[in-house]
Amino acid sequence: MFYSTRSKLLAGFLGVTLLVGSVSLFIGVRLIDQNVFGEALNRVKQDLNAANEIYHSRVKQVKISLGITTLGFAFISSVSERNTADLVIRLERMTRLAELDFAGIITEDGRTLCRMGPFAIPGPASREANPLARIVFEKRVAVAGTMVLDQDFLAGENPELADRARIPLAHRLDGDHESAQEESAGMAIAAAVPIFDGNTLLGVLYGGILLNRSEAIVDTVRDTVFQGEAYQGRSVGSSTIFLNDLRIATNVFGPEGRRALGTRASREVKEHVLDQGKLWTDRAYVVGNWYITAYRPIEDILGRRVGMLYVGVLEEKFAQVRRQALKMFILTTLAGMLLAAAAGVVIARRITSPIQRLIQASQQVQEGSLNPELGPPANSEIGVLQKAFGEMVAAMGRRREASELRIIQSEKQASVGRLAAGVAHEINNPLTGVLTYTHMLLRRKDIVPEVRSDLEVIAEATERVRKIVKGLLDFSRQTKLDPELTDVNRLVAGAISLIENQALVKGVTINFNPGENLPMVTLDRSQIQSVIINIIINALDATEAGGHIRVFTAVGVSGDGAAQEGVEITFADTGCGIPAENLNRLFDPFFTTKGVGQGTGLGLSVSLGIVQRHGGHIRVQSEIGKGSRFFIWLPIQRRAEHEGVGG
Amino acid sequence: MRVLVVDDEPIVLKSCRLVLEAEGWEMIPASSVAEALSILESIPPDLLLVDVKMPVHDGMYLMRKVREKRPGIPIIVMSGYATSETIKEAEGLGAAVFLPKPFTPDELADTLRSIAKNPSHD
Repeated sequence: MFYSTRSKLLAGFLGVTLLVGSVSLFIGVRLIDQNVFGEALNRVKQDLNAANEIYHSRVKQVKISLGITTLGFAFISSVSERNTADLVIRLERMTRLAELDFAGIITEDGRTLCRMGPFAIPGPASREANPLARIVFEKRVAVAGTMVLDQDFLAGENPELADRARIPLAHRLDGDHESAQEESAGMAIAAAVPIFDGNTLLGVLYGGILLNRSEAIVDTVRDTVFQGEAYQGRSVGSSTIFLNDLRIATNVFGPEGRRALGTRASREVKEHVLDQGKLWTDRAYVVGNWYITAYRPIEDILGRRVGMLYVGVLEEKFAQVRRQALKMFILTTLAGMLLAAAAGVVIARRITSPIQRLIQASQQVQEGSLNPELGPPANSEIGVLQKAFGEMVAAMGRRREASELRIIQSEKQASVGRLAAGVAHEINNPLTGVLTYTHMLLRRKDIVPEVRSDLEVIAEATERVRKIVKGLLDFSRQTKLDPELTDVNRLVAGAISLIENQALVKGVTINFNPGENLPMVTLDRSQIQSVIINIIINALDATEAGGHIRVFTAVGVSGDGAAQEGVEITFADTGCGIPAENLNRLFDPFFTTKGVGQGTGLGLSVSLGIVQRHGGHIRVQSEIGKGSRFFIWLPIQRRAEHEGVGG
Repeated sequence: MRVLVVDDEPIVLKSCRLVLEAEGWEMIPASSVAEALSILESIPPDLLLVDVKMPVHDGMYLMRKVREKRPGIPIIVMSGYATSETIKEAEGLGAAVFLPKPFTPDELADTLRSIAKNPSHD
């Protein structure tokens, strides 16, 4: 029982600890996950913004380079004079400074005046479609931005560019087969600026950078945004420019260590970004690795979505951060759980050890000890329990002493009673013979005086035997009570009147002070009267001439702790008193201090038996030389348990 | 005056004979209830002195028989150990007097005389 309580406590502690621990682990892991991932997404979003900024600053740079060129007076006059030789030099200088891949001038009649590359000065018949120039002629303002240029345009500008633009499609895993085996269009950052001479539009200066296979922008993004941050030898960050969903410039590397040109973005990304024009931020599987990625659409000068700009951060790096955070968190939580469990064990022990001691104490009580080891008092409810237990055991001890005394007393009476009955019955027949023959002999006149006096001794001694046997019989004859509702005062007064003469003869006065408002008591009148007479006679025997005996009655509660209501009769004499060593034996059968032949030693024993059968008790107080007090207490209502005692 | 004394103890019978004969009475002893009953058939006594506790049949049994067969014979019950219950029972069966043992010759003679004087004492 005890161990199961302790294990229940322990199980409770551990259960709560485990529950709290696992809940906090679960929540903690979720929080860390979300935080790390959210943080990564945020960062990638910012990185994408930075990449976008870099991309557009490149656009602006191209536009400014062209714009500044068109403002030069010499340039304008060269255009108006068709001085191609001078213009080519100027174009070369400009493209070098602005790092352009192509540039050229279109006159207002749509002819290409001159350009960079192998076909620098085409013939006067050259009228190639130039989408950039067309916009400027229509709008008469400078334009700049992203432009998708077809193979013809690129080939016209410079066959090298057309070659560069050509990107073979990598094998795709998702099975989205297209007929084309390569992408031949080029995506470019391009600008076109009108050339005005006053208000006259002389032509358009155009130029741009082919993005296909260009490493400049993506590597700039990687180097400026991620600042060469590496994880396990790989750059943490990567950047890509897509033509539609095709990687045309990237520093995402394929498994062979080459830039992953010609591979495509996933369909979800394509649909989300290209088709719906939205920003994408999420983890994505990019050419063999998981990345935290961000994509945004790239729109061309006319506002069409033609490509995507991407930045991504290796998820592995965040996963590592996350793993570390998780490890720390789990370790902390486990340590906390261990601590809580240890505290639980300690607390369970502290709670249960006083209980265990109480259990041991109760076993000691069971084995008969009335002074069990309770251990140090606990200052909790268990302390209260300990105290109550101690008091209970003490009360048990008191009650047991009392009942042991009562049992010893009644056992004595019972055994003496049985003995007396047997002896009396056997002795009385021969005693009849002794008495008869002695007295018959004494009747004879023919006996000598010596014989007569001897016979008289026999007769006296026999008379004594007869009295002793009678006393024994009275003692053993514990007849049933015949209780009646009785006025105790009247009963006491009646008993005193029977002995008063005897007292007068001895010169002892008996005073009776009847108590007032005494309740009626149910008792056996003749038996209680014999008790009263017995006690008064004892007092009389102990009191010298001139002394007195006071008897009084009063309402009183029982002294055994039950506080039962009753009536107490007190007998106080001025006699010799009873020595302390005799007080305990006073009620033992055959205990007497009177001279031989004066008492049988059964009177008080018989009296106590009678009073006890009434549910009452007799107490004695005595002081040597001053006198004794006997108290007879009788309950008003007889308790059922006393009915049968000795009856 | 004829007295039937019933007791299983010879010393009691002898004692009674001594006292009764000294008083000049005729004493018939019976050491058992059965013997007393047969004597009652042949020699009806004037008085019956009966012990209570005897083997086989006790004094109470005898008194019941006497009440049936010879009502009117005064009965004195004697006993060495009598509770108030036995005294009451004996009185109920018609005992005139209860005489506790042991008794002196005077006590026995006085009791017998008082009953003989007042035979209707019951």
